[in-house]
Amino acid sequence: MAALRSSTRLLASRSLFRTTVPVRSFASVNPIESVKEATSASRPPVNESKTSTVQEPSASPDARIKTFHVYRWNPDEPTSKPRMESYTLDLNKTGPMMLDALIRIKNEVDPTLTFRRSCREGICGSCAMNIDGVNTLACLCRIPTDTKQESRIYPLPHTYVVKDLVPDLTLFYKQYKSIKPYLQRSTPAPDGREYRMSREDRKKLDGLYECILCACCSTSCPSYWWNSEEYLGPAILLQSYRWIADARDEQTEQRKDALNNSMSLYRCHTILNCTRTCPKGLNPGLAIAEIKKSLSFS
Amino acid sequence: MASIVRPSLLRQACSAAPTARMLSTRASINASQRIAQPSFVRSAVPTPMKAAAFHASAKRAILPPGPQHVEGTANDPVPVPPAEPTHGSYHWTFERILAAGLIPLTVAPFAAGTQHPVLDATLCASLLIHSHIGFDSMVIDYIPKKRFPKSRALFTWGLRAGTVVVAIGLYEFETNDVGLTEAIKRVWTA
Repeated sequence: MAALRSSTRLLASRSLFRTTVPVRSFASVNPIESVKEATSASRPPVNESKTSTVQEPSASPDARIKTFHVYRWNPDEPTSKPRMESYTLDLNKTGPMMLDALIRIKNEVDPTLTFRRSCREGICGSCAMNIDGVNTLACLCRIPTDTKQESRIYPLPHTYVVKDLVPDLTLFYKQYKSIKPYLQRSTPAPDGREYRMSREDRKKLDGLYECILCACCSTSCPSYWWNSEEYLGPAILLQSYRWIADARDEQTEQRKDALNNSMSLYRCHTILNCTRTCPKGLNPGLAIAEIKKSLSFS
Repeated sequence: MASIVRPSLLRQACSAAPTARMLSTRASINASQRIAQPSFVRSAVPTPMKAAAFHASAKRAILPPGPQHVEGTANDPVPVPPAEPTHGSYHWTFERILAAGLIPLTVAPFAAGTQHPVLDATLCASLLIHSHIGFDSMVIDYIPKKRFPKSRALFTWGLRAGTVVVAIGLYEFETNDVGLTEAIKRVWTA
């Protein structure tokens, strides 16, 4: 019964199809006439000579067009090589910072562009990338207003790229974990309430606690490029010194011993790329020198 | 930085692809049938996988990248090496004192006008140790022990042999010839 029903349905659909074929062959019908049929005679459309004309958008004469070359690589296409994609933006319609340009490219030009960003004010450290040859935060880097100069944006150097401008920072975070970045203390506070420190001790932490771990300095260090598996790199060493210098911490000697070997600390050759590149204006080179000094004179 | 995500994993996946083809429900095609097969029939191995096996940058014949791996999971800290002050702080302090000491040792013979053999020998010895430490640092930097243990041993021992040869040569030069300071004085014509 079911088979019979389906066959009759098939027949019905075929007959339907046959009837639709001549209906759809309307190519010779005049479209103007069909419009007249569709609109009532009491409300004729306003003639096009009396209405405004929408022009195709043209570039304004005072537009400041700047070219951005952005590193692109897609893990979903493992056979295609990394490439530099070029985008042009009018600086009059773009915010002042590189991150504004990247967000505008992603919103308006190419939604497949991938990068990390969060706070857009240099607090989170997500948007660290290599802009015009310098590791910096895109949100703290102004777009050079010279439109003839083309900007080049790469991910952080010597990192594995996850996608486009997103680097793989797994090892960086594993190294950060290895220095135990937290207060280690077994004796209770004298007043039993909180661990206090003098103003002088607190001043020692200025220039250290501001580090946001954006990895700009570590990935700019040639020594870290060569020996990233064993050398900790400037960012982690600055963080390590932040806990060595902390007056409340009681594991200072253990922290120093953890660095007292050939690789962890002493691969620093005072190249000072870290201090030059730090987008927060900190001095990891000085922190490393302080660790070396405290290890030698203790 | 070493990564958990590695291109070699991809290569493994590609080499596993023919096995997947063997396990497929399709009847296997022998050679004679394959010739008769029209060209538009698709292979069971997808084209991107085939291409990935021949990915140009996956393999380098000259100076291939060393083995890179992350120890432990992403949540484990990097292992902390044991404290070795002889390779750490003592080494660094000695190196700095030696480097600072070389400055007066270099200037003294020319400033004072004396060429005492003991002063000359001290200059030679400290210069030799200073350059040995410097070259050793280069070997440590450029040939990571974890990635190239054999090359590392070769270069370390080569450097030590070189230092010994230079030491013997300098000793001969100091005892049987004019000595380093006098030699520089004679060569220096500016």
